[in-house]
Amino acid sequence: MSLHPKSSPIRPQLAERILQEAGAVILGKDHELRLALACLLARGHLLVEDLPGVGKTTLAHLLARLLGLDYSRIQFTSDLLPADVIGVSVYDRASESFRFHSGPIFSQLILADEINRATPKAQSALLEAMEERQVTVEGETRPLPEPFFVIATQNPLFQVGTFPLPESQLDRFLMRIHLGYPAAEQEKALLAGEDRREMVARQQPALTNAELIELQKSVVRLHAAPPIIDYVHAILQFTRGSERFAYGLSPRAGLGLLHAAKSWALLAGRDYVMPEDVQAVLPSVAVHRLTGGEPGQRIGDDEVARFILTNVPV
Amino acid sequence: MHKTDSIPMAERPERTQILWTTLLVAAACAPFVRYLDGQVTAFLALILAIRLLALRWPAALPNRWIRALLAFAGLGNCLAAYHTVSGQDGGSALLATMLVLKLLELDTKRDLRLVLILLGFLSVVQFLFDESFQLTFYLGLIALGLVTLLTELNGGLGAAGLRPALRVSARLALQAIPLTLVLFVLFPRLTAPLWSLGFDSSKGLTGMSDSMEPGNISELVVNGELAFRVRFAGQRPNSNQLYWRGPVLWTMNGRRWTPGAPPSGWQEPARLIESSEPIEYEIVMEPTKQRWLFALDMPISEPEGAAISPDYQLLSNQPVTALKRYTARSVLSYRTAEPDARVRALALELPDNVTPRMRALVEDWRTQVTDGRSDRADDWTLVQRALAHFNRENFYYTLLPPKLGANPADEFLFETRSGFCEHYASSFALLMRIAGIPSRIVLGYLGGETNAFGGYTIVRQSDAHAWVEVLIEGRGWVRVDPTAAVDPSRIDNRAATELLGAGASVRFDLGEAAALARWMRDLRLLGDTLEANWQNWVLDFSAQDQRRLMDRLGLGAWQEYGLAVLMVLAVSLTLGGILLVLMRERTERDPLEQLYARLCQRLGRVGLPRLPHEGPDDYGQRVAAARPDLASEVGGFLALYVPARYGERLTPETLQRLSDLLRGFTPRTQSVQSAFRGKVTASNGG
Repeated sequence: MSLHPKSSPIRPQLAERILQEAGAVILGKDHELRLALACLLARGHLLVEDLPGVGKTTLAHLLARLLGLDYSRIQFTSDLLPADVIGVSVYDRASESFRFHSGPIFSQLILADEINRATPKAQSALLEAMEERQVTVEGETRPLPEPFFVIATQNPLFQVGTFPLPESQLDRFLMRIHLGYPAAEQEKALLAGEDRREMVARQQPALTNAELIELQKSVVRLHAAPPIIDYVHAILQFTRGSERFAYGLSPRAGLGLLHAAKSWALLAGRDYVMPEDVQAVLPSVAVHRLTGGEPGQRIGDDEVARFILTNVPV
Repeated sequence: MHKTDSIPMAERPERTQILWTTLLVAAACAPFVRYLDGQVTAFLALILAIRLLALRWPAALPNRWIRALLAFAGLGNCLAAYHTVSGQDGGSALLATMLVLKLLELDTKRDLRLVLILLGFLSVVQFLFDESFQLTFYLGLIALGLVTLLTELNGGLGAAGLRPALRVSARLALQAIPLTLVLFVLFPRLTAPLWSLGFDSSKGLTGMSDSMEPGNISELVVNGELAFRVRFAGQRPNSNQLYWRGPVLWTMNGRRWTPGAPPSGWQEPARLIESSEPIEYEIVMEPTKQRWLFALDMPISEPEGAAISPDYQLLSNQPVTALKRYTARSVLSYRTAEPDARVRALALELPDNVTPRMRALVEDWRTQVTDGRSDRADDWTLVQRALAHFNRENFYYTLLPPKLGANPADEFLFETRSGFCEHYASSFALLMRIAGIPSRIVLGYLGGETNAFGGYTIVRQSDAHAWVEVLIEGRGWVRVDPTAAVDPSRIDNRAATELLGAGASVRFDLGEAAALARWMRDLRLLGDTLEANWQNWVLDFSAQDQRRLMDRLGLGAWQEYGLAVLMVLAVSLTLGGILLVLMRERTERDPLEQLYARLCQRLGRVGLPRLPHEGPDDYGQRVAAARPDLASEVGGFLALYVPARYGERLTPETLQRLSDLLRGFTPRTQSVQSAFRGKVTASNGG
């Protein structure tokens, strides 16, 4: 990977390879994997919403391995405290000072499992760190590692003992995806195949951290022509004007949409954005910000996205 | 020189711009040369030559002082040629001279613009001389070139270079068409002819005059110009029956036939005692500045604004100064009423140079012994004998007759014996009067060429003819054509070609077999048809036609407010429409977007319209799936379009290639069968 900013950083083969290897572990979820990778390349955080046991954890772990990121997992529970996430200062008798014991958040890729099981206080500890990419503990600001990527999972709300994430918190996630049950053929292959955990553990990194950061930078640099800007803006305007939505998409959502579309274009090996890129990421980027905290079915997301897209001419 | 140096580079005209402008000026002046005095033409050619030479050798460009001298010389030249620099001739000559001189002084682009705008004026001035379709078409091309050069010069509308400028001006011309039509239909017609303003479009008319003396018909016969066009309502009569009757001449002064004063109180109307079925026809006549209208022998009904005189001339109330269209009816066989004694006396008046041998000749005919009978021959027999005389004796028909002296009739009859219709008619009428048979000369045209393309007959000046009418007891006025009596073997064809010099339109008789001649003839007739339609629909569109059209369009009531109001209204509507189109264009002015829109439009026509929310890739895939036969063409277009649009890699070449791709792309609706086959292939591939 060239580090010269001018030379084209696009190596579609690389992205394809990552996706191919991931697809060998998580079967039949190529689109979701691609979305997750696009989300990461766009420096966004990912919310995976689904029932337990559909492979959310495997996905997070797999991405961490493939991208060569160090990984930690926080199991959110109702008694989780912010300090459990961020870390805590402990008095060290040898140095006669407080020493900060960093929490699990000081990792490059964090799996925040079942985020809606924790209290809002604990949730916000994580979510604020996600936005700021730094944490302040006892007056000292500590930067989080780079790249920093959170994959949060969330159970459908009708399960007992959940604290729904407020809209403002949901907005911090660039994308929300659903994994869903695998298709019959893939599920049979899964049942017949070897242990997924071992497969993930065997996985070799495909990228160095520097390469990943360079890829993320090239997403930012990727060109979006005026018609694309117009198109994204038209989508934002439509959601704000439509009676179907209580609130429209925020400017941050617009930025996220454009960013995700760029990332999607990069994965397609292009150095410019097409309307199809925007359309591909729209269900994941926009719908969770529009429907609020109520977790819909996947089909619902697509239906909402289709409603928007069919009403906004390219 | 110092003046030139102070002009910034960008404001100086380029060499090619000067070259093209000079060529355009030369091209615009070319048809004008026909109406310019020779010395003015020579001056124009000289200045244009200097200008072109100076492009090659800039040192040849005259300096300011020489230019001033040349300007005075040009003015003097016009004055010498026309003795005035105002009026139609002098004024336009001066305009052309000064325009060409301005070409020597092209220091800035502004000068060039000035030349081009003046050139537009010079183009319009030419319509004062010639309104033909040919010239209109030619000047239309000049105008297109002019707008092209102006566009290129101003670099307007993103047109750099002549080719894009030409495209822009062609589009402008197309946009101007509706406005032109509106103005043409609605612009108030001038009811007063233009000559009342001092302009005269019937300048240098050649045509029939109202008198006849040796030589003036032969002038006409070598003239290929149009006299009039005729469209028959029914069957066209044979050519030898097409005697187009014009002025009737009564008085002979020994050399010259003139209409002569009609007997006072001659009010009796022309009256036919017997006649055949009338035939109806419409004539479009070129201006003659004379009052007579030509009609087939004999006219029986007069068009509006005209009357039939006692000697059966169709006379318009006003001189024909503009194109004249009229419908008339005539009968081919007839018997006229017999006039009273005063008219007979007029038709028997003799000049004082009747010679004894002429009298002897007539007396000989009168007393000639035929079939053993020696009594005096009656009038009709005498006419027959006179015709026989022309036929039997050594009379030649030629357009190159020897010069005749003081008594042309005598010299022609007894010495030279070669001449053409006017000699024959003149001497025949004279001989009849000597014999006591009242006679008169009729001028007109004989025959005409059928134009199968336009379904009409063309009568040219070269068809001019003169014949005689004699008054026979019991039969009225009878037409006699002594020229036709000449033995065909003594008709001198050669003369026509000798007399017709360079430039005259010679009608070679190459024989029908010669394919080239036939093509040339067809081409000429086709051109004439075009010209006739131009006259019919454009030049002849009069105030009455305008009113009729308004009525038909249901706009008749508007005329109370005046056509001017209507015109202003229509023009503002048109301009408003153009403005709307322009505003719409502004939103999708992007040429790339337009090309894409056209692709989608064409696909839409075969049932594959782009959905409003469909991106180009999705659309391309859908089209490829539905119509595998179109996949490669559409794919090729999109492969260029998408990066150009979204990657903003748009080069003029890309645009050109996309436009080329689109030009060849005309999808057809697929038949059911092939659509099915396409589906099968697609599913196999999948």
